[in-house]
Amino acid sequence: MQNWPFWIAGMALGAFVPLFAWTSGKLLGISSGYAEACALHKPAGSERWKLWFALGLPLGGLAATLARGEGEVASTSAALVEHFHVGNAGQYLLLALGGLLVGYGSRTAGGCTSGHSIVGIALGAKSSLVATIGFMLGGFAATWLLIALAGARA
Amino acid sequence: MKPLAFIASGAVFGFLLSMARATDAAAIVGMFRLTDLHLFGVIGSAIATAALGIALLKRSGARTASGEAIALAPKPYHRAVVVGGVIFGLGWGLSATCPGTALAQLGEGKLYALPTIGGILLGTWIQQRLAPRAAVAPARSC
Repeated sequence: MQNWPFWIAGMALGAFVPLFAWTSGKLLGISSGYAEACALHKPAGSERWKLWFALGLPLGGLAATLARGEGEVASTSAALVEHFHVGNAGQYLLLALGGLLVGYGSRTAGGCTSGHSIVGIALGAKSSLVATIGFMLGGFAATWLLIALAGARA
Repeated sequence: MKPLAFIASGAVFGFLLSMARATDAAAIVGMFRLTDLHLFGVIGSAIATAALGIALLKRSGARTASGEAIALAPKPYHRAVVVGGVIFGLGWGLSATCPGTALAQLGEGKLYALPTIGGILLGTWIQQRLAPRAAVAPARSC
């Protein structure tokens, strides 16, 4: 199986949101699953399902890889190396620092690309639209800064 | 729903993220370089489809299949959304990954998702430690 065209993938992801709400009564989100992982020492509250949901994601990634007939293990993010001209150490630094900002930022904003950009905007939430504009501005800024730095070193 | 049902639901979502190439760092860098607009199309059509589905849910009384009420209240607006949004975006650009796709990447055999996931956990932990002092509402959903 090949990857899907954008509109099939988008419609499937979009349809998943109300279907999940219809079966579970909940609005999906991922970054709060990380917050639940950080709260494992506390008794499980009403949000513990978010951790279970997040733990399912790797299984889905594995299934998609098998469906595409791939399955090789990769330790290098080729895109970062190619676009930003970083070595191995630089690559892992970008991934870890980027992850740190993603974790801090999503919990400050109260959501990530799934909970805000897809679910929240679909609900018509102003907070989610503003958050998503922030996501995009930050993403463009970081990407073009890295490209400029790569150019300056070349 | 039981934990296993949530894990299965997460697996479906992870599968869809992967088939959408949202787990492909090249697609994310390409989106921000405007050389590969695929993910803009994915996000746009996902929002439109989700909005349609949510409207249908509301019309039918916002009840689950078993008749329970679905909480469809949007997240309240507060100024932290702006700051947090930009910080998230900077991290999204640096790592070419977001919280869901990092986890799906791990299942795809992309071991470089490990420093990303570690970073996200650390950032989440730091935010929760600082949140009361920074007077930022520790938001609960996603």
